[in-house]
Amino acid sequence: MTDLPIKEGLFHVGQLPDEKPYLIGGKCNVCGYTCFPKKLVCIRCRRDDTMSETKLGPYGILETFAVMQVGPPDFPPPYIMGYVRTMEGALVFTLITGCEAQDNALEIGQKMELLVEKIKEDRQGNNLVGWKFRPLQES
Amino acid sequence: MKKLARETCIIGVGMHRFGKFLDKGLKELTRVAVWNAIHDAGIDAKLIEAAYFSNVLAGLITGQEAIRGQVFLRDAGFEGIPIVNVEGACASGTIALREAVLAIAAGLYDVVLAVGAEKLYLDDTARSIEAMSTNADVELMGGLGFQFTGSYAMTLRKYMEEYGWTQEHFAKVASKNKYNGSLNPYAQYRKPMSVEEILSSRVISWPLTLYMCSTMADGAAAAIVCRKGIARKRCTKRPIDIVACCLRSGEVTGEDDGQRHVARDAYEMAGLGPDDVEVAEVHDAMAPGEMFRIQKLGFCQAEEVGRLVDEEYFTLGGRLPVNPSGGLAARGHPIGATGLAQISELVWQMRGEAEPRQVKGRTTPYPKIGLAQNTGGYVEGSPAALTVTILKS
Repeated sequence: MTDLPIKEGLFHVGQLPDEKPYLIGGKCNVCGYTCFPKKLVCIRCRRDDTMSETKLGPYGILETFAVMQVGPPDFPPPYIMGYVRTMEGALVFTLITGCEAQDNALEIGQKMELLVEKIKEDRQGNNLVGWKFRPLQES
Repeated sequence: MKKLARETCIIGVGMHRFGKFLDKGLKELTRVAVWNAIHDAGIDAKLIEAAYFSNVLAGLITGQEAIRGQVFLRDAGFEGIPIVNVEGACASGTIALREAVLAIAAGLYDVVLAVGAEKLYLDDTARSIEAMSTNADVELMGGLGFQFTGSYAMTLRKYMEEYGWTQEHFAKVASKNKYNGSLNPYAQYRKPMSVEEILSSRVISWPLTLYMCSTMADGAAAAIVCRKGIARKRCTKRPIDIVACCLRSGEVTGEDDGQRHVARDAYEMAGLGPDDVEVAEVHDAMAPGEMFRIQKLGFCQAEEVGRLVDEEYFTLGGRLPVNPSGGLAARGHPIGATGLAQISELVWQMRGEAEPRQVKGRTTPYPKIGLAQNTGGYVEGSPAALTVTILKS
């Protein structure tokens, strides 16, 4: 069993103990539009010469979320899906972990932290890993 | 907003009832809706010069990925004429209508058919659900457990937090639409339901409960569009003018996700405003979605919607009846047919043919201005395709 990224080129896993993971996004040098995943064309300027790669995360704000009480085969309920706005301004669709899958476990506007972990298994039994967010533990 | 070069109207509409029809295929659903529309118009079917066929998932559900319209319309009696296949997820039906309008406005034809048909029920429910998940960006969201119920739940949660909407408001909207659907012979669900029954049904994704949500459905709907100048000579019933048919894609870089922009386009094209609308069919795959559509269409401010729901402003006897057909959650949501079912309902309402669910006009016996808002799919946090159609009698 190996860990495989759910899709190549979307995120970086922190290798060293104090290295944080990040998402690989795009930012427009002209208008500042920031997105995830990375795009080669800015959709606000509609230009193909203004985007550069940028690191997103590990922190963001919870825009909204939903606790799912039914789920497709790889996602046994209850589980939480949501949108996090990273500090860099990109809106990211994400699974949420690190708290009870209950409506009172989260609040819109709270600080979230990126992590990379198993999303599901593929047919060969490999772990498909991807991005998730969890409530930030303030120290 | 540029004007259409030629004006168009609808001379006939027709549906196949929405519901679960395991023994019926797309050929039958399509034929029934098309011929109901032809008989409704009272025209010789040979006058139809082109057809736009709306369907979303036949490829995944039945395997008929290519030439859907050509296959399904052949059994409805069509050969020779151009047939164009249209797909824009749940907005496909009104996109097909718009294409029919544009073909006439371009000067090519006088009479064009727009038809939407969808078959979602199979013996294999898992396959149906998997097929429906392709209404979002498959590569990005499909692998992450994205579900449409969740997307509605996420949007509603924001409105609840910001504008004081409550789960009880949502149940009231669902109950109103279940009642409307109970009066609609074409609706999938014809059982009225109380606010309490809806609130106490199983939670799907809070604040949504089971009876607030649309399910799968089979069905079809059709409209026959005609160049305005010649309509009265051709058909038996009063033509209903299409005064706006606007389409946009969703947006993510600005304040608006596209819904306000497409509504503004439509009001401009029609030379009308939201206050002129007397009846509306809006896209509510989950019934409470009606509440955010209402404010995006400019009918009222977001902070007013809850109070207006309490005051029964949007019921059949209210100031602005919304979803008199029952909407998506009660009438049913065979996705490629939904937009044209909205249009069919408006036409029946504006002709005064809606029988027990007939709404009144403000100054005339029947409404003179009707609006249909149709949304399809989901890309990066905004709807994929958005339409607003305005009809005038």
